[in-house]
Amino acid sequence: MKIVFRIVLFAALAALGIWLWTVLFPNPEKVIRKRLLELARTVSYSSSEGDLTRLAAARSVGGFFSTNVELNVELPELGQRNSMDRDEITQAALLARSRAGGVRVRFPDINITVAPGRQSAVADLTVEASVSGEHDSIVQEMKFTLRKIDGQWLITHVETVHTLSGLPQFHFRYFELCSAAGSFHS
Amino acid sequence: MKLKVVTAQDQAGQSNAGGKQPRMPRWLRIMVFGRKPKATLVRVAVLIIASFVVFRFILLPIRVEGISMLPNYQDRSWNLVNRLAYFRHEPQRGDVVSIRLAGPHVMYLKRIIGLPGESVAFANGRVLIDGEVLDEPYEKLHCDWNCPPVKLGPNEYYVVGDNRTMPPEFHKHGETPRSRIIGKLLL
Repeated sequence: MKIVFRIVLFAALAALGIWLWTVLFPNPEKVIRKRLLELARTVSYSSSEGDLTRLAAARSVGGFFSTNVELNVELPELGQRNSMDRDEITQAALLARSRAGGVRVRFPDINITVAPGRQSAVADLTVEASVSGEHDSIVQEMKFTLRKIDGQWLITHVETVHTLSGLPQFHFRYFELCSAAGSFHS
Repeated sequence: MKLKVVTAQDQAGQSNAGGKQPRMPRWLRIMVFGRKPKATLVRVAVLIIASFVVFRFILLPIRVEGISMLPNYQDRSWNLVNRLAYFRHEPQRGDVVSIRLAGPHVMYLKRIIGLPGESVAFANGRVLIDGEVLDEPYEKLHCDWNCPPVKLGPNEYYVVGDNRTMPPEFHKHGETPRSRIIGKLLL
């Protein structure tokens, strides 16, 4: 009986140790994934959002990015810009929130590659945005480069990926996709 | 002295008489658990594992969204992607394939019209492969696209939707590497 008690105690202590280890030294991939999902939640908004909530959310969007973000994005709204600072991102988020009725953003697929030094990482992800009242969603593959700055993973580079090369990829009305059942919600 | 053989059913009846849990009728028990519950349990486990393997790694269930494959594949219809279709041979012209973005949860559904090494162009809505007009019986909605020739690399395929009634800049089409082709549509 004493042996059994000791074994159980040892197993419990080992589990506690492992849990503490994951809390104190979290896996960068998990941290980045969590942060990106949080970004998706933050950029999503409903049409009934108040002014103060809108402002607070737009500010917190800026917090996901570094002070200067390199851009390689084909968005008509952004034109040929190569970089944006955090304030400009906040302003852009605020402007977008005041325009459309409501947007739900999801990252259904996220592939993260952490660099050997564990100080930078690249996230290849699918962005899916559903505008309220619209039948079709917007789907785009993107690549985010993240860097660990002051203990936080911040996005330093944003790039659109040409899944099908040849023509501009970001269209707002006509898009086509199919999705794996079970994990896709329209 | 009379001897009475006590059967399992009698015992069950006694336990019921004692006011404990009512027993499930025999016919229902057989319907639900089978005559051999252990064997049924094994069968259920095998079925669950087989379904998981088949629908996760071999036949991917998908829901088509969008209008680019009209009229052959309707918006919001269901289908299956055969991930083993190109296990023995490479994709063929005319195959409807799923093309992954960052992962398998959201994919494009397109038809292959150009094979590696070929040149693909659109002239007055007709597809030209190395300058020759491609016969497309599946294309029922005619268009007037004009796109300059695109030379495909050794590992690239040209994919496009069946519905080309919108301007080409509003329809996702173009070259895709072989590695992005997940499988062929089954139905």
